[in-house]
Amino acid sequence: MKLTRLLILLVFLAIATQTFAAKRLSIYTVNYPLAYFAERIGGDQVTVTFPAPEDVDPAYWMPDQKTITAYQQADLILLNGANYAKWVDKVSLPRSKMVDTSSKFKDRYVNISEATTHTHGASGAHAHESLAFTTWLDFSLARLQAESIYIALARKRPMAEMAFKRNFQALADDLERLDTRIRAIVARDPGRALLGSHPVYDYLKHGYGMNLRSVHWEPDQAPSMSQWNDLKQILEEHRAEVMLWEGEPLADSAARLKEKGLGSKVFSPCGNRPEDGDFLSVMQQNATNLEQAFR
Amino acid sequence: MNSLYLAWQYIRFNKFKTIILVASITLIAVLPLSLEILLAESERQLLNRAESTPLLIGAKGSALDLAMNSLYFDDEVPELLTMAAADRVYDTDLALPIPLYARFQTRGHPIVGTTFDYFDFRKLKIAKGQPLTMLGDCVLGAKVAAELELGPGDSLVSSPENLFDLAGVYPLKMKVVGVLTPNHSADDLAVFVDIKTAWIIQGLGHGHQDVTRTRDSSVILKRSEGNVAANAKLFHYTEITDENLDGFHFHGDTSIYPVSAVIAVPYDDKSGTLLRGRYLEGDESQLIILPAEVIDGLLQNIFRIRNVLDAVIALVGLATLLAIVLVFTLSLRLRQREIQTIFKLGCRKATISRMMMAEIVLILMFCAVLSSAALGVIDSNAEELVRRLFIG
Amino acid sequence: MISIQNLQFHYPNSEFRLTVPEFAVSPGEKIAVVGPSGSGKTTLLNLLAGILTPKQGKVRVGEVAVSDLGDAGRRDFRISNIGFVFQDFELLDYLSILDNILHPYRITGALKLTGEVRQRAVHLAEQMGIAGHLKKPPGELSQGEKQRAAICRALLPNPSLILADEATGNLDPTNKNRILDLLFESVAEHDATLVAVTHDHELLPRFDRVVDFRKFQQGAGSKELGAKSPLPPTPDSQHPTPASP
Repeated sequence: MKLTRLLILLVFLAIATQTFAAKRLSIYTVNYPLAYFAERIGGDQVTVTFPAPEDVDPAYWMPDQKTITAYQQADLILLNGANYAKWVDKVSLPRSKMVDTSSKFKDRYVNISEATTHTHGASGAHAHESLAFTTWLDFSLARLQAESIYIALARKRPMAEMAFKRNFQALADDLERLDTRIRAIVARDPGRALLGSHPVYDYLKHGYGMNLRSVHWEPDQAPSMSQWNDLKQILEEHRAEVMLWEGEPLADSAARLKEKGLGSKVFSPCGNRPEDGDFLSVMQQNATNLEQAFR
Repeated sequence: MNSLYLAWQYIRFNKFKTIILVASITLIAVLPLSLEILLAESERQLLNRAESTPLLIGAKGSALDLAMNSLYFDDEVPELLTMAAADRVYDTDLALPIPLYARFQTRGHPIVGTTFDYFDFRKLKIAKGQPLTMLGDCVLGAKVAAELELGPGDSLVSSPENLFDLAGVYPLKMKVVGVLTPNHSADDLAVFVDIKTAWIIQGLGHGHQDVTRTRDSSVILKRSEGNVAANAKLFHYTEITDENLDGFHFHGDTSIYPVSAVIAVPYDDKSGTLLRGRYLEGDESQLIILPAEVIDGLLQNIFRIRNVLDAVIALVGLATLLAIVLVFTLSLRLRQREIQTIFKLGCRKATISRMMMAEIVLILMFCAVLSSAALGVIDSNAEELVRRLFIG
Repeated sequence: MISIQNLQFHYPNSEFRLTVPEFAVSPGEKIAVVGPSGSGKTTLLNLLAGILTPKQGKVRVGEVAVSDLGDAGRRDFRISNIGFVFQDFELLDYLSILDNILHPYRITGALKLTGEVRQRAVHLAEQMGIAGHLKKPPGELSQGEKQRAAICRALLPNPSLILADEATGNLDPTNKNRILDLLFESVAEHDATLVAVTHDHELLPRFDRVVDFRKFQQGAGSKELGAKSPLPPTPDSQHPTPASP
């Protein structure tokens, strides 16, 4: 009789646990780094979805209506902030589910100096085109973003807060190690001039005090004549020896840069899911590449 | 039974008089009771809406205007405040802010700019189509859709605020994406848009070709370091489509953009109390109200008129009763000969009285049945009647 | 059947006086009461029916001293034992002819309306020749037919005494005789006594006896009309206009 009761209780607990475990929090993000952070912190309590296609830049991606509806129905919507994902301003999302992961460091947003804004009339207000948004490349800011995610998850599922906290701590440790490593690399030669192939390294530059200027090149496109001319002019003032690329550049581009005395190193912003590895492994490889750039 | 039979025969024979008597008595019975039913229902509906809204924040001014515009989308737009008020609530971590911007109209119906949370808050469901997704989308209340005969896929143009609208509130062609299920509230009579769409209607956001990249110099006022100033020739889109959605944007910081009110939904009672406390400073420029209190106060004032109505109905009732007594008295006089005859035949006085009373009893029975039926119909349709007659 | 002894009656606040030293009617007799208007003929009928009570004297109908009964007793006695036929028929417009005939049974607990009573009502109507009008309202009948219906109503309770107050007053000559025939036949058939007030001297020979009201002494003062000695019957100059059938 006792054994029967015990068995019934165990079965009941199993069903209850299964039911509880089956109800994962549905989390949608606007970029891959936030998805990675959410996966690390949420563990098996969450199902993270980052629906942008792999071959698009999530910052400029526009989801279709079906995808927007999916965002609306999620338990949490993780936003990067700093005007990342301009599509967010053009759709209706429930604020109760939105988490602006960079809201706590708005004072550390970086303006893009090279951007061109517009106004209507001589003295109208500017349109918002001038904020840099790859905030996670400053790993101290990435840690703050991860913390926002931890807080949001803990509020949504208080019973799992301890697990979330442990997971966040582990992730924070990884990000702090990256932060320390980058600082150490830059500290070797703080004034070392670097070039960025694309204006995506502003937070890296400002966060770690790098002497970096950017052009507007794509790794999979051969630069035009005028772009080479612009580069030439920039090099006259900014004697960089390495150009950081978002992805592996064309062999021709790299070769031609080499002729001009510029090496090429990949520092992937990792806005979208990498083909291999994950955010951490990509950033660790970025750090290694940066190390080489500072030799 | 014989008395009732004779009374019934008499009533049948004198149809006209009977109908008038029954109609008069029924009317005088139904009128105050139905008024009571309708007033009670009005009170319930108005209060229900207010009670389901925990806190309202607006600019310092008339609490009543704030409540009426926010709860019932009244024409009177209160003093505006900014989106920063919603951010302020959000930052307290005590309540969920739901901004409202109920200023514009389309074809006689209010356009309510709000956020996606409003629909969950008011438990509004989609009957046809889908909820708001993109800028330019609108979702219709059930009655709006029925009245304008519109559904998903149709379009609706916002109305200019005045005939010579030079201030930038230009008509925007909105796309109907959904129709709500009836909610038996002011929501049935509204057109819902995302608050950003409402700002676009006002002209605070707009869409146009990219002037930083255009080759058409006739739309450029001035180029300077890092900025291009466009002139008035630049065409602004009057409709948001999939093709031009990317061109839509806002100038300046949206936290200074206008809202008419912010619904604050506290996370718990303590949070609500704490939030209210934050608006009690002397130099506070914003007003926080409990809508139920404001509307209850309004109803107390309005329904004081009920006492006057009751008094009037009582007087009318008294007059009607006197008239009815007169009719019965005259009827009795007309039947004097009949009474004398049956008296001569040997009818007892009590029987004569019973016969006269039987007539009254039958008439009152008819009145009771008709009154019950009328009140039953009014009661079962009170909700709809109140909406049509009083709330609109 | 009827016996009146030393009857005196007067209405309150009126100078009218009715004095009947003696009045008797045998069972089955058909009596006509004549006299000038205002002489008290209807008053006499009302006293016989117990509608009025004498100030002095007794009124006996059959074995019952009607004048000694209380109000309820007189009403019950009246509806069960006395049939009234009125000059203006006094049918109720809102009832059918059948309901009019049955009316006495609906206005008193002393009479019970049963199926047998209904059958008798129909039979009476057949006898009177109005069976085809039972469902009609009085307004659709002729004067003669109405009076026949009134007679049916008076006869239905099987009264022992029938009082007719100018029953033929509103009828044309043809109908007068017909109605009187029907009345006499019914009275004979029901073993009833008939006391009929009439102004119609042409009908007098058909009665068993004619009582001239002027032989009764009447009230004093300016209204004194009666003489101590009997006067010869004279035609009343105030005959009501006969109605068409």
